Amino acid sequence: MQMHTEQMASALIHELFHSRRLVVGLFVALNVAALALGSIWPKSYTASTSILVDERNIVQPLMQGTAVPTEVADRGRNAREVIFGRKIMDRILENGGWLASHPNAEEKERLIEEIKKRTTILSAGRTIIKIEYRDSDAERAFRTTQKFAELFIQESIAAKAAESSAAFDFIDKQAQEYQDKLTRTEAQLAELRSANLDARAGTEAEVTARIGELQTRIERATQDLKEAEIRGAALEKQVSGEVEVTTAATREGQFRARIADLQSRLDTLRLSYHDTHPDIVQVKQQMRDLVEGINAERERREQYRRSGLAETDQSALSNPVYQQLRREASQNQLAIEALRGRIADSQQRLLQEIGRGRLLHMGDARLAELTRDYQVNRDIFQDLLRRRENARVSMNLDVERQGPTLKIQEPATLPLAPSGLNFWHFVAGGTLLGVLIPTGLLMVRLNLDPRIRIGSAIATQHKVTVVAVVPHMWAPTELKNLRLEIMALSLAVGGTVAMAMVVSVLRVLKVL
Amino acid sequence: MSKIEKALGKARLDRGNLQLVPVPGGAATPAGTALVAHRAAHPETIANMSAGESKLLTPDDLSAARIIQHERIEDPVIQVFRGLRTKVVQQSQGQSSVVLVTAVSKESGSSFVARNLGAAFAFDAGKTALLMDCNLKNPSIHRWIPHASGPGLMDYLDNPDLDLAGIIRPAGIPRYRAITAGAPRKIPGEYLSSLKMRRLMETIRIRYSERYIIVDGPPMSDLADIRVLSEFADYVLIVARYGRATSGQIASCLNAVSDRKLLGIVFNDEPYFPRLR
Repeated sequence: MQMHTEQMASALIHELFHSRRLVVGLFVALNVAALALGSIWPKSYTASTSILVDERNIVQPLMQGTAVPTEVADRGRNAREVIFGRKIMDRILENGGWLASHPNAEEKERLIEEIKKRTTILSAGRTIIKIEYRDSDAERAFRTTQKFAELFIQESIAAKAAESSAAFDFIDKQAQEYQDKLTRTEAQLAELRSANLDARAGTEAEVTARIGELQTRIERATQDLKEAEIRGAALEKQVSGEVEVTTAATREGQFRARIADLQSRLDTLRLSYHDTHPDIVQVKQQMRDLVEGINAERERREQYRRSGLAETDQSALSNPVYQQLRREASQNQLAIEALRGRIADSQQRLLQEIGRGRLLHMGDARLAELTRDYQVNRDIFQDLLRRRENARVSMNLDVERQGPTLKIQEPATLPLAPSGLNFWHFVAGGTLLGVLIPTGLLMVRLNLDPRIRIGSAIATQHKVTVVAVVPHMWAPTELKNLRLEIMALSLAVGGTVAMAMVVSVLRVLKVL
Repeated sequence: MSKIEKALGKARLDRGNLQLVPVPGGAATPAGTALVAHRAAHPETIANMSAGESKLLTPDDLSAARIIQHERIEDPVIQVFRGLRTKVVQQSQGQSSVVLVTAVSKESGSSFVARNLGAAFAFDAGKTALLMDCNLKNPSIHRWIPHASGPGLMDYLDNPDLDLAGIIRPAGIPRYRAITAGAPRKIPGEYLSSLKMRRLMETIRIRYSERYIIVDGPPMSDLADIRVLSEFADYVLIVARYGRATSGQIASCLNAVSDRKLLGIVFNDEPYFPRLR
């Protein structure tokens, strides 16, 4: 049922009166329960101590950047883990006298858990760690808190020393490893340099230039060779043609000259003789023989030409042009041979230079790799050497207890007054709850119960006129009973409050 | 002696001061009609009705019966019922009317509202009230009126020889009359829907025209009786009790009653802390 605040307040007042017995009953019951709980609630004493993590001692500025102090924040964060560690808790059990009854492992575990629950560890600021311990025994609370601080400081310092020592050992081991690596790299570099003596600065450029020169030389020689071969071929042809010309000019010419002579003799003879004259017949016969000789010469020349063989002819050999050509051809052939030799030599040297260049490249790559490794290893090694010295100083600081230290800022004191919930809290809480809980329950009922408790709600919900809201009319007997009831309820409330006050006073007077 | 004269004689014995008033110029006017006409013309006659009440309830009786008392003007309940009376009078424009008081559920206090509404009407010297107990299954009027023994509504409806005046009783409050439910019957609802009941209502309405008739009806769970009684009534009041009636119940009641006759809801028994002297 939705109600406005004013309606709710009005309805709540009506309900409080209407359900007065329940309200008073709950009030009394809650107060009595609170008083009973307060009476049996164990007293607890809290002892506390503060530990200062001193990171501003005189050594630190001197060692700035050299030694690495342990982080305070880490200490604060880890304090709980350190204190609640098994090692410290066992000592606490022993110190607190919990082991006097020889508890078994399960009971010890339970005791440790209870101690943990009663212990509060706070990090107050950056440098203060506060340890609070609550116990029913004031003396034990004091001793346990004191022991907590003492053991925590011992454990922290030991852990810090172990930490810095472990850091030094690790860095030292790393430095050794890098030193070995550096030594190996140096040896490999020396070996590579001795294996590649010509592997010096500028060698690669020289090799490249040399290769280029050789390639140029080969190209030039090849070109000259081609020219010489062409010239040789031309000279060979010329030599062959001269032989033919010479041969033709010598034999056939001789035959034709003789034929011409014989013709002139024949002509002369014919002037004097008939053709049957023996001289004339002889001359004619000679002429026919010469013609046949010319034909035979032509046929022979043709055969030579078809066979491709140079016709050797003593007459040709004696030809000066032929001789000149033969001489030039011979010289040309010599030049060709020289060029071929030069090309082969250049190619051989080119291959050698290329091989050398290749070796040079491989050596360079290996050299660069080794040099790089060497430089990296050297840098890391030098850095590790610096770190190792820093770690050594840090370790020495911890050994000498000159680094950031833990000190007890505020020692634990014997708690004289109990802490936590005391009897007054229960008295006040009981009274407050005795009012709030019944009121809250009635409010819940008002909100959840569908039965109508506000007249105007009917008008709102059903759009009907509420012609009258009639208050309860008290009959005389009802009034009499109400008086008695009010008296009884007042007595109950007053009695409860009085009882709470009396019990409180008795508690103060230590009677209870 | 006629039947009417007998009845008037009996009534005279009961009321003490009622006398047959002769009507000037009207020799044959029936005695009852003459009485009503005289009261209507002379309200002081109604005021004088209290002088002859045979037995009035003492303040203690009234308090025990939880009936409002004129003298206790500081009582907020009186103010509420006076206000309710005014609303009825305004609604009826001063004419006498029949108001049916019913309840959303049992024990909602409809009888309490009905008797106090009647008492509020009786406060006014110019008005009279008649309370009829029609809550036949759970009658209540006989518990608080003096001289409750005797015939009631059921007896009247059942006995043809019984006269109307024989069942109208003084309520112990001046100008306040009541009709009890009478002896219980097996099926009382049947009597309410009888022709005699209809005639009774018409007779009361006509004969006692200066009276406001309050019908103390059964709760709305007896829907049949409510429907019959609401036919006789001019207005219907529905009583819903604090912390008892739900919204759904009220909606059902509103659906069962004609909007024309519905006067409204009376929200009863709101917690109230009295003065403890």
